Amino acid sequence: MAAPRRATQRAAPSTAPAAAGPGAAKASVAGVEQKLDVLTLVRLREQLKQQFMECSTVVDAGEESIPDQVMEEGLIEATVEELEREMEQAKISFQNKTLALHRVQIMDALRTKLRQNDDDSKLILETIKRILMLSTAAIEFQKQAREMEEKLNDIKRKRLSLKQAGEKKLLQIHTMKKKQKEELEGIEVGEMLKRIRRNLQKETEMTTLIQNIFQSIIIGSRVNWAEDPALKAIVLQLEKNVALI
Amino acid sequence: MSVVRPFDKLPVLNSAAILMVGTDEDLQQQLAQTILKEKKDFKISIHLATSLPLPAERDHIRPRIDLIVFMINVQSKYSFKNIEASLAHVDANFFLGKVCFLVTGVGRVNRCSVEMSAVRKLGEAYCSPLIYCELELEGIRISTAQRLLRMLQICAGHVPGVSALFFSSLMRSSNDE
Repeated sequence: MAAPRRATQRAAPSTAPAAAGPGAAKASVAGVEQKLDVLTLVRLREQLKQQFMECSTVVDAGEESIPDQVMEEGLIEATVEELEREMEQAKISFQNKTLALHRVQIMDALRTKLRQNDDDSKLILETIKRILMLSTAAIEFQKQAREMEEKLNDIKRKRLSLKQAGEKKLLQIHTMKKKQKEELEGIEVGEMLKRIRRNLQKETEMTTLIQNIFQSIIIGSRVNWAEDPALKAIVLQLEKNVALI
Repeated sequence: MSVVRPFDKLPVLNSAAILMVGTDEDLQQQLAQTILKEKKDFKISIHLATSLPLPAERDHIRPRIDLIVFMINVQSKYSFKNIEASLAHVDANFFLGKVCFLVTGVGRVNRCSVEMSAVRKLGEAYCSPLIYCELELEGIRISTAQRLLRMLQICAGHVPGVSALFFSSLMRSSNDE
């Protein structure tokens, strides 16, 4: 839609050294040009090599491999993950190496500086000594802190075990007390039951005896008990009671 | 063909071509002049365009494009939309380091009409580095020109051992760590 505008501008190659010195001796100029030509040629050769490599890479990348089997999605994903992991590893190792390189460079610079033995290096030495002292102090304190923590942990553990033992003992006491009480109750209940049974038996025997006596009295007195309802009730009742037992 | 492809033509010996796409023509001209003034030892041809696709009739005269610079002006939404539309006409192989986004106009924050997050997402989506600059200032223009020149050298294959794929290191920001 919008008409693009084209302006081509070309800049001449600035081989300035070759153009310098028009008044110089012809032989030297020729020699300089010769050397520069070789240099330029070598540079151009490097350029061409790089460009060729790029083009061939593009051609290689453009080739499509025809899969003769249907590749599963999972396989492709697995390979992609694998490659990504490798890339991550490469990145990490590169960063580590850069870090290590930086450290080595710094140490080297420090060492050369220290060898010069002037004011700055004295300051650096002082700082390094102070760093060392502080680090050793820090390590010492950390060790002490760790030991105290260990002791604390031991004490806590002992307390925990004691508490558990105490709990166990209490439980034992509790169960024993309960058992005793139950036994006591059982005994009492048994005693009471026996007593009650004995009483009951005695009473029933007495009642039976008294009933029998009444029966014999009534029968022996040759009274016609069937006529009198009161006497009838008594005799029948007695019969009933005797039958029950 | 309306699509710009990176490797469809053979490179010319010791020369490189850069294509600048953007709606702000004055800035483009200024930047082009600054680039030409820089000291370099290879031939450079700068092509300026307001949008892609480039007209097909001049296609055979045009040399192989090594670096495409898209200039986005944060203060105008039109330039952003224009660039987005033009990106469709660039071959996917270009985005392996041969494309770069130049974002101008970030200095005046209260006149920005394009969201910075949108610009950043564009850069991430197309895997290309973003360069922020204020092209009205002389010093920054010169340094941007030097940077673009160096990138052009690498994209054109003039520097042995360094390929355009290394520009992904320019995209890592402190937010990624």
